[in-house]
Amino acid sequence: MTLRTVLAAGLSLLGALPASAATLFMGSYPDQLLVFDEAKGAVTKKLTLATGLPTSMTLSDDGKRIYVTTITTSGIEVIDTATRKVASKFSLNDGTTRYRFWGGVPDPTGRYFYTLLTKFEKGVDRYTVGKPSWGVVDMKTQKVARMVELEREDERSGGWRSAYKLSPDGKFLYVFGEKVLIVDTATLKVVDRIDLAKPEGTGLENVGFGGPMDTIRTPGQYVSLFNAADPYIHNKMFGLARFDLNNRQFAFTPIGPAPEAMAGLQVTPDGKQAYTVVTNGKLGNKRCEFWHMNMATNAVVDKAEFPCRSRFRFGMSMDGAKLYIYGASYDIEVYDAKTLKLETTWDLGNDTTGAGMVAVE
Amino acid sequence: MKHLRPINKKARAIDEAVTQIEAVAQNPDDMEEDVVALQQQPRPHVPMGCTLSFSPGWEVDAGGGTAGLCQPVERDIYDCYVTCFWPVQVPDHVNYSPDWASNCATATKDWRNLDLVFP
Repeated sequence: MTLRTVLAAGLSLLGALPASAATLFMGSYPDQLLVFDEAKGAVTKKLTLATGLPTSMTLSDDGKRIYVTTITTSGIEVIDTATRKVASKFSLNDGTTRYRFWGGVPDPTGRYFYTLLTKFEKGVDRYTVGKPSWGVVDMKTQKVARMVELEREDERSGGWRSAYKLSPDGKFLYVFGEKVLIVDTATLKVVDRIDLAKPEGTGLENVGFGGPMDTIRTPGQYVSLFNAADPYIHNKMFGLARFDLNNRQFAFTPIGPAPEAMAGLQVTPDGKQAYTVVTNGKLGNKRCEFWHMNMATNAVVDKAEFPCRSRFRFGMSMDGAKLYIYGASYDIEVYDAKTLKLETTWDLGNDTTGAGMVAVE
Repeated sequence: MKHLRPINKKARAIDEAVTQIEAVAQNPDDMEEDVVALQQQPRPHVPMGCTLSFSPGWEVDAGGGTAGLCQPVERDIYDCYVTCFWPVQVPDHVNYSPDWASNCATATKDWRNLDLVFP
């Protein structure tokens, strides 16, 4: 079976997903989760997060719960996507102990939450800062159940704000940073390291937790853009990687030379079209382009430059008809996915945080 | 009498800049109505000393200009506040000022509602 056949088979599954307007959940300042109706183009509800400011969101594989992590008191809040209400919430901080973490992923049962965290202990005369560690949060006892320090070589690869995925059987944690790390959840030890890097650059928050990847979520698989380099002249290229989370295998299809930075991959519900944002140049010379790719041929079929912000995130509507540019502001710029032209701008009324956007039907 | 002697690249750059400023002060007519490109000497003054992180970004971008900053700059206040990236310019959300932005949902529009912080 060729790689292209594998890709086509996987993408055909996506075609079964119904295409319709969705509800967007967006983390915002100072402690709000916005519920945004795509059809109305308006915020319909705001959820106050008691544990503080949201920094990441992860949608469960069944789409029923969103796990929101907050920074103010190092909290986790679980949102019921059907009722649009906070189902549970707790903070990991107590009087003298604090934790710092950014994102994570729940196990299939919803009992445990895997993440990368750092512990701070307040002593009589000093703070003791722990080493970065793989951590397991028990959602029932609402405490950190286990911690294992990262090996030195993984401190950079594991990365702050990495994207996380868990195998369907819950045995392996996948961490997508400067490398792909595979962690045995029983021992919290890295069992494999894959030399593929997420394409990212200054200002591009590519590795959102649940947001950018939601349009191509397929149980047991993780699909994303990656950068890779050949072993001889180290020429960087970008391409599409599809990870099989069950057997820890991956397939990488190179598409072209790696640009300076890329912002995520958004795939239409039928799995046939994909979009990304490519930036070249820095500061005042930075230029941003939408790239429209055909997933059957793995070719770039259209490009269009647009005026981009210094920092932004890239998203797509659930039906694949609109492209979103948002972040570092209170609004969403809406582009037509076919023409790549600006359609309108939606005012959210709150500045959005780096938690990104999660779309549910 | 010169008490300090530059021993590394950064110190030499500061020494050159000070020398240029002193030269201009002695003969200001030389610089009158002059247009200075960013690549040209004397280079623009970047206020490095006012940030602890040695990473310009609040007043100027990493290239010494302003084109790389968020426009308007209020768009960038909150992400600096939460990540404590510019701890001198913006209060620290995690440790000391968790309520600084409680009354201000949109910094660009409501920045007057930001709390005052007295260290």
